[in-house]
Formats: sequence, structure tokens, C-alpha cells
Amino acid sequence: MKKVAAETAAARVIAGSTAARIAAGAAAVAVALALPLVLDDSALAVYVLLGLAAIVTVGVSLLMGFAGQVSLGQGAFYGVGAYTAALLTLNGFPPLLGLVAAPLVAALFAAVIGMPLLRLRGHHLAFATLAVQLILLSLAGQLEFTGGDIGLQAIPQFGVGSWEMDGAAAYAWLTWGALALVMLVTHHVITSRPGRALRALATSETAAASSGIPVGRYKLVVFALSAAFAGLAGGIYCFYTGYVAPGSFPVLISIQYIVMAVVGGLGTVWGAVAGAGAITLLVQGLDRLAALPGMPSYAPSVLSYAVYALVLIVVVLFLPQGLVPALTRRDRPPKTSRASRGVPGD
Amino acid sequence: MIDVADLVVEYGTATALDRVTLAVDKGEMVALLGPNGAGKSTLANTLAGLLAPASGTVRIGGRLALVPEGRQLFPDMSVADNLALGGWRSGQRDPAPVYELLPRLADLAGRRAGVLSGGEQQMVAVGRALMSRPQVLVVDELSLGLAPNITADLAAHLTRLNREQGVAVLLIEQNARLAFELCSRAYVLESGQVQAEGPCAELAGDPRVASAYLGGAIT
Amino acid sequence: MSAFLTYLLNGLAVGCAIALIASGLVAIHRVTGVVNFAQGTFAVVAGLCTSSLLGLGMPHGVSEAAAVLLAGLAGLLTGLAAIGRPGTTPLSSLIVTLGVGVLAYAVEIVLWGDQPRSAPGLAGSVTIAGARIQTQHLLVIAVTAATFALLALFFGRTYLGKALTACASNPYAARVVGIDPRRMGLLAFALGGLLGGLAGVLITPLRPISFDTDVTLIVNAFAAAVFGALTRPVVALGGALLLGVAETMAAGYGYGSHQLEVALGLMLVVMIVQASRRSAIHEEAV
Repeated sequence: MKKVAAETAAARVIAGSTAARIAAGAAAVAVALALPLVLDDSALAVYVLLGLAAIVTVGVSLLMGFAGQVSLGQGAFYGVGAYTAALLTLNGFPPLLGLVAAPLVAALFAAVIGMPLLRLRGHHLAFATLAVQLILLSLAGQLEFTGGDIGLQAIPQFGVGSWEMDGAAAYAWLTWGALALVMLVTHHVITSRPGRALRALATSETAAASSGIPVGRYKLVVFALSAAFAGLAGGIYCFYTGYVAPGSFPVLISIQYIVMAVVGGLGTVWGAVAGAGAITLLVQGLDRLAALPGMPSYAPSVLSYAVYALVLIVVVLFLPQGLVPALTRRDRPPKTSRASRGVPGD
Repeated sequence: MIDVADLVVEYGTATALDRVTLAVDKGEMVALLGPNGAGKSTLANTLAGLLAPASGTVRIGGRLALVPEGRQLFPDMSVADNLALGGWRSGQRDPAPVYELLPRLADLAGRRAGVLSGGEQQMVAVGRALMSRPQVLVVDELSLGLAPNITADLAAHLTRLNREQGVAVLLIEQNARLAFELCSRAYVLESGQVQAEGPCAELAGDPRVASAYLGGAIT
Repeated sequence: MSAFLTYLLNGLAVGCAIALIASGLVAIHRVTGVVNFAQGTFAVVAGLCTSSLLGLGMPHGVSEAAAVLLAGLAGLLTGLAAIGRPGTTPLSSLIVTLGVGVLAYAVEIVLWGDQPRSAPGLAGSVTIAGARIQTQHLLVIAVTAATFALLALFFGRTYLGKALTACASNPYAARVVGIDPRRMGLLAFALGGLLGGLAGVLITPLRPISFDTDVTLIVNAFAAAVFGALTRPVVALGGALLLGVAETMAAGYGYGSHQLEVALGLMLVVMIVQASRRSAIHEEAV
């Protein structure tokens, strides 16, 4: 009963601020579009990477916040998208086809492995997804057609027909356009009727199943959707950098997306973007710091490891709802009842 | 021994106990009656320190041990190990005094707790609680799922413990007839609130209590 | 035939090291319900630490013991982060241990750099039935056997060990008799640290360790532990030996580049088979 009440209250708050939210959204779009015009090259690079990270993080946040599943292998889908786009383009297919295929292949791959894997829950699923990423990385490093450890190089620029993209600003617009698309899709999923049912999935799968929700199918759809987002980001990434290699998709990148999603607050679209932004900018800032004269050569990696780790630990323990909800206070964290901690009630 | 005043316990936003006031004196044997979901086990867990009160006071004037609802043994471990762990608080690991009171447990010492009958398991649960040498014992649903003669046997042990060693007992029961038989006073808990209290003889005569708890409920 | 025997014994040694890490994983999971992602980190910390201490001229035995104790301390600290705060769910704790593992990267790179390090172990080799076995491999097997025997005694015979088992068996009942599951959980984490450290000290002479070796170690150990559903140490030991032998055979007969895939694929299959046997309701708590 109290859950229903809380949800109606939340709905009322959301409805009340709809106008303000649309205004804020429009302003955000305007800023996002204008930024590539004013940023210098190195800032543009950060801007593109931030957008790509945000695309993946929206999916991770959806998966963790709505389906209650932890994927430690989201980098695998990012890689699948990147390799798909790269291979197609290098074999003479138009880049547009490569970019469209990237999310589709990633989603298909996720759907195929998801059918057995999503029977697993909690830490089992976390390790299973990590295992999938490790297997893919190992295969990509050994197979001939993926270019082994060296990877695939000289990937053409993205373009449509005879028009070819040049300059980082174009990639920034492409990335942020893709991010907008991903956010719209996610928003639609969250506010749809099945989306509200998904909320139940994150709290109690058994309860959701007993209320007639096709749990397995929903989980698979969210899993595939989050993979599609990662695949799309990977596709853009391969055109932007011009090469892909197993080293571009380390296990740490998957952990990074979890950090971003957790920081932003799970299951919130804007939170995922804010989390990706906060962590990307923080790590970039630290990289600058680490590049200062007198810093040891290992400083960049040490600082970024330390920041990922500390942010992750602090947020999980002290701000389990994430930074953005904690700051805006829209959702009060539910009191943890003792009943859920193994003391039988009456 | 137990002194509870205005106790409120909450699960999230749900109130499980609402301003409960209850006392058990030294050497007394008191019953707590009430239907399922009344908050009886919540009170037991709060008395044992496993749940934190939202407000109100809980004072325990001596060592308290809980015989929890559903026995809650360590099923893969032997009876002897179950008893030994009962002495965790007191540091008392020698089960001899408990064997003296419940000689049947000495025969079962080497058996796995999980394979025992319900009555034997309840006896292990009582024995485990006694290992900590309690001055007050809270027994949650002694008779649940047990045959009447087995319940009577266990109840006799409790009465002896109460009379001979002066251990105060709070007996949480759905079986009101048994509770009235054993105890001097009783409380009736419904929806988290104390609805009635008094000497058992008086309560048994209360038509409301009689119809709710004595009317054909016991066979 | 003698090559086969060599691979078999080498594989058993590798499996033993995995088993030690897996037993730490199982000990922690049984008591706390948490899967400790930093379990491989303990082995790395101990391995790197031994190599440093030996390099500084400390004698064998002392160096290894100090490294194992340090890993035990690391285990305790990891436990404090993972379960020290009341109300942390097992999955949140898993993410915290993930954070601890990444934090350890930063510390390890500062202290030891990012290049693999090795340490001298027992020199020499013996010939058994025509197969040459490095003495260090035999040492790994012997120490693991002794450790598992001690663990069985600890959990089965000592009061503290029984209290730990009680927390695993019925956490509510453990609280009823006054056992503090959080303190027992911290003890389990410290024990996990010691076991991981022991594994690290034993394998560093066999294969060089670097800060990011922990991923391979934890994945292998988790794979072994899932054989025993993360709760049965002896089955986990069997799983670890199987993995160790399978991987070493794969490497020995020319499929070395695929040994990780073999282990991971096996783990996925075992997990999926186990999951399809259990109903959703039993898993809800995870």
C-alpha cells in the first residue's frame, strides 16, 4: 500500500514540475548544440567521450535501476558495436550501415547470450557478464578477422553518400544527437506501462512475477536495449578514433560505467548523463593534474583508479540513491526495514 | 524483570507495536495472547534486542533469553553444538546443568538438530536458551505445531524452572487455554496494541476474550 | 605419459592456488552472503609484498608470513568497507568490494609499479614416475592440503569456528543467541584475506604477479566456487583442481591461448545449469 502512495506522490511532483522540466530540457539541448562551436580541440575530444560514456551509462542505469541487474560486462557490448561498425565499413559497406548495424548486432548478441544468462541473478549475473567480456576480449585478441591484439586500423570517416564528416565538432553533434535519441527512448520506456511494471522488477522479482508481469521477457528487452545503447556508442567511437583494438575495451571500462550510473542515481535518465559528465570531467581534471611537471609517470592511472574506487565506495555506502537524487531530493530514500534484514516479523 | 513503557516499533512506515506497556516481575510467569500479526513476535524480538524501538523504553532487569518462534535451531549442527552456542553470551559452554533439567537432551546430544521431531527441536530451543543462565525467559509460541501431550511435557519443565529456580517467564501463546493454565497474569495484544490485561482468572471470564481465544479454538 | 603426469601435477598445483582463493570466497559468502570481488586482490598484495620483502633481504618464511598477515589485514579492511555499515545489501557490498579492488590498483602501482614481479620459491625439482616436478609445485599442493585440513578442524571443532558456521546456517538464530553476525563477517573477511594471501605467496614463484592479475584469479576462483554453489568448500576444491588441470592440460597440449575461455565457459555452464535447477523464489534473497 505504502509503495502505491509513494508512487502517486512522486507522480504528482513530476507532473507539477513538467513545465519547468521542459524548459530545462530545452535549455540543455541548446547548450549541448552550441558547445561544439566554442570548445577547442582538446575540450571537444572530452566532450565527445563524455557523450559516448553517457550513452552507455543511460543503458547501465536502466538495467541496474529498473531491471535490478548488475552487468560487469557492458564494455563487451560497446566493443561489439565498435567492431561491427569497423568491420562492415572496412569491408566496403557504407558507414551509415555500419553505424545502424552496431546497436542492432550488440542487441542481438545480448538477446542471444541473455536468454541463458538472465536466469542468473545478483552476483552470478555480474560474474557471468564479466566472463562474457573477458572471453570476447580474448577472442578478439586472437582471431584473424578482428586483427588480433593490434585491432582494426584506418577505419574511414563517418559519412552519408558522398558527404564525409570531418572535424571533431561534427562527431560531437553526432554523439550528442545519439545521446538525445537514447534518452528519449529510455524516457519512453520508463514512462510506458511496461516501464512502470519494470520498477516492480527491480524491487522484487517474485512479486512482479506473481502479479502477472512477464519478468523474463522484460528483463531480456532491457538487457538488449542497454546493449544496443552501448553498441551505438561503440559504433560512433570507432569512426571517431579511426581504430579499434581489444585494449580499447578493458574490464575497467565496464566498471567505469557502473561508477557513472551509481553516481548519477540508478534508473534516472538525467542522472546517468550527469554521472557520466561528473566522472569524465573529474578524470580529465586529474589527468591534467597528473601531467604537471614533477608528477610520477604512473600518476594518471593511479589517480583515475583511486577516484573511480573512492567515488564508487562512498556513493554506494552513503548515497545509495545516487548523487543527483540526493542533491535534488526528489526521491527520499526508503527507510530500510529491519524485516528485510532477517528478523522475522509477526 | 521486564519493564516496557509506551513502546513503538516500526517496519518502515508500518507500525508493528503501538504504545505497548507491559511488565513481568521477578519470578512471575506471564502470558501474552493475540492473533497472528498482532505484533507478538515483534515484541519478543525487541525484548531480545534484535529490533530497535522507534520510541518508548524497554528495561530488562537481568539476563534475558529468547526461545524464538519456529525453534530457529542450527539444523546442520548437533544438539550439543546448538546448546554450546546458546552459551555464547554467558561464556557458559558446559551443557550439564541443562541436561539435568532436560535429561532427554543428553540422549540426543550427538544427533543433528535438523532431523529431530518438532517436540525434540522445541526442547533443544528451550535448552539452548537456558544455556545462557537467564533470569528471564521469553518463549515465543511454545505449543505451535506440537501434540498436546508434548506441549504439556514442555510446559511442565517451564513451570518447574519458574517455581524452583525463580526464572521469570513471558509466554507468548496463541493457545489461550494453555497460557491461562500456566500463568498468573496475561496481556492481550491486537493490531500492535494491548487490548486487555489482568489476572488470568479475570480475563478468562471476560466474554470478549473468551469468545476470541477460548471459544472452540482449542481441541 | 610422463608429460601427462607433469601436466597433471602442475595442474593440481595451479588448482590448489585457485582453491585457496575460492575457499576464502566461500568462507566470506557463507557467513555474510557477500561475494568478495577483492578476493584476488589479497593474493596480488601478498605476492607483490613477498617479492619486495625477499628483495630487501628478509629470509624466506618471515617474508611469506608477513605478506600473508598483511593480506589478512587487507581482508579485514575490505570487510569493514563492505559490511561495516548496517543495512548494506549483499549486492551493494559486491560493488563496494569491486571498488576496493580498483582502489588496490592505485596503491599497488604506487608501491610496486605496473610491471609483473616474481619471487624465488623452492628451488629444484623431483622426478616422480618419470615426470619432473618443480619442488615449488609440490609445496603448493602440500600447503593447500594442510590448510584445508586446518580449515575443517577450525570450522568443525572450535567454538569460534562453530559460531561462524552458525551465522552461515541461520543468521537470525545466531543473533538470538547473541552472536554478532557483523563481527563474524569481519572475521570471515580477515580469514578470506589470509587464504588469498597464502595463495598469492605460493604462486608468485610460479607465475609473475602484477597489479591486474587479480581479475584472472578472482574469475577462476569464482568459477571454482560456483561448483559448490558458493557454500561448499570441499566441492569448490574439487572444482578448482578440475579447472587447474583442465587449463594446464590445454596449455600443455598447445591450446594455451584458450585456457581462460575454457575456464570461463565452464563457469557459465555450471551457473546456468544450477540456476535452472533452482526456483526464482530461492534466489530472491541474493
